[in-house]
Amino acid sequence: MSDPVLRIDHLTMQFGGVIAVDDFSMVVNPGELVALIGPNGAGKTTAFNAVTGVYTPTSGTVTLLGHNITGLRPDQITGMGIARTFQNIRLFSSMTVFENVLTAHHLRRTSNLLSATFRLNGAEERQMRKDTEELLRRVDLYDLRDEMATSLPYGKQRLLEIVRALATKPKLLLLDEPAAGMNPQETDELGDFIRRIRDEFNLSIFIIEHHMNLVMRISDRIYVIEFGKQIAEGVPSEIQNNQAVIDAYLGGGDEL
Amino acid sequence: MAKKKWDSASVLSALVILCLYAAVFIAEQLIPPTSMLFTVLKKGATYALVAVSMNLLNGFTGIFSLGQAGFMLIGAYTYAIFTVPIAQRAIVYQYYNGGVVQFTLPVFAAMLLAGLVAALFALLIGLPVLRLKSDYLAIATLGFAEIIRTVFQWDKLGPVTNGSNMLRLFPTFNDFNLRNAQGEITVYLSTLVPLLISGVCIAVIVLLINSTFGRALRAIKDDEIAAEAMGIRLSSHKQMAFCVSSFFAGIGGAMLAMYQTTVQAKSFTTAMTYEILLIVVIGGIGSVTGSCLSSFLFVACSEWWLRFLDQKQVIGGFEVPLLRNGFRLVVFSIIIMIVVLFFRQGIMGTRELPDLFRKRRSPAKGGEGK
Repeated sequence: MSDPVLRIDHLTMQFGGVIAVDDFSMVVNPGELVALIGPNGAGKTTAFNAVTGVYTPTSGTVTLLGHNITGLRPDQITGMGIARTFQNIRLFSSMTVFENVLTAHHLRRTSNLLSATFRLNGAEERQMRKDTEELLRRVDLYDLRDEMATSLPYGKQRLLEIVRALATKPKLLLLDEPAAGMNPQETDELGDFIRRIRDEFNLSIFIIEHHMNLVMRISDRIYVIEFGKQIAEGVPSEIQNNQAVIDAYLGGGDEL
Repeated sequence: MAKKKWDSASVLSALVILCLYAAVFIAEQLIPPTSMLFTVLKKGATYALVAVSMNLLNGFTGIFSLGQAGFMLIGAYTYAIFTVPIAQRAIVYQYYNGGVVQFTLPVFAAMLLAGLVAALFALLIGLPVLRLKSDYLAIATLGFAEIIRTVFQWDKLGPVTNGSNMLRLFPTFNDFNLRNAQGEITVYLSTLVPLLISGVCIAVIVLLINSTFGRALRAIKDDEIAAEAMGIRLSSHKQMAFCVSSFFAGIGGAMLAMYQTTVQAKSFTTAMTYEILLIVVIGGIGSVTGSCLSSFLFVACSEWWLRFLDQKQVIGGFEVPLLRNGFRLVVFSIIIMIVVLFFRQGIMGTRELPDLFRKRRSPAKGGEGK
């Protein structure tokens, strides 16, 4: 078997006296769609932030395709092939749909400040625009390209954030609650979309989600954490029947 | 669609700018050079450049810096130090034995150097200062400007900076006029050339803003966390914007030196930074066109149109009350308060000149500057 795309080993994330993530380990294999679930405040987003470099782990290592990326800056990690979306949408509000996606191509530039300012990078700029156009066409956002990103309907904004992440040409895509605030129909469509981009863009996907229907439908494997600790791991059918998971969600008094 | 480079709105904007330049050229040949019009245009051109450079930071990168006067000072001194004619150095540096710098640079080389030295200072100061955020950054840069102002007046640096004495007798805007063998002016260019210098610099800034780096800067302004997640390195991009802004503030400083015909550190006060900040706010934070327009308006109001408020005015035997020396500043402050209270977006908001010729707002492209 080839190297896992993402490997987290004994990750611990401590803030003062609070241990948000406690000795958490996991892998995402090539082409896999792995979900991380758990009650509110379980440490899911903290784990995400430790992977993407927003936080430096207190201990433990994060490995991307065999490279140790623990403690690198977020922009370096994105450059190495991890892209992410955010729990609360973070689009560039002064830009159009097109520009939002175009901006994501900046990290692959070969031009420098002078050559870009004086337009000596024409070929590269044209390529960036062409790639952006093509990507928008593939995901049916092309007709909205000149709209301001923040004027899109909520569901489309979520979609655009995923597309913008795709434009960085990642190997691993991290989605932080992509279905938050969506109605059942939108959620269904999102599920199809996530599976589609996984196949079309040869991605591995690591997702945090609260919509259990969605998670059970699209995930290959699921990790469950509670209070920063892993309490279960397995395929969806195993998780659904796992007593510890049921207790965490129902017995513990946390809402689903 | 942002792909097509020259749509009709951009062409129209370019034509408008070209016509303005032509009008200035013609006016300069016809109207006496002492007219207030030219004073306003010269100072306006200088302020427009500095305002746009400040807008690059505040409006396009989201870095709230108040160091502009400091970088202008560096630019003005650099220009003056390297352009005072050798023959005049003994007079200018009379307390320092003619100073240590005993060569001169051509005017444009000195202006370029002025920008580069300012950018170098920005590079050094940016390393610690750009780690700060919002208000703290503003305070730190303000402090830097004050320190620079004091250091340049330091007696020990006198052989270079002439201490607290003024630098003078260097080439000014009037030296751009073409003269014949008898020394008579044949073609007046003393207003057109500064406008051209300023226009070229602003055009470069606009090109930068519309390049991939400009998009990265706007991304940082919109959302630092998302920008970083898109692979944009925050520290290097902020540093870059800071240096570019200071580079042009330095050139602006050199232009101010030429406009004033003398340079003295104590005139580069915090109030000057505030004036420029005010111009940026009135013009619209995030609009190059707005900064240019409001520079000329601001300078025209403070130097020309409101001057009458400072003198006694008698209309038909009736002496208008309140008009006396200093009243102009009161009226000026009130106008500014009205603008800030009721026109928060400024004159232009975030629109640019070509947007005015378009029916639908399409913020995909910037203007061509002034």
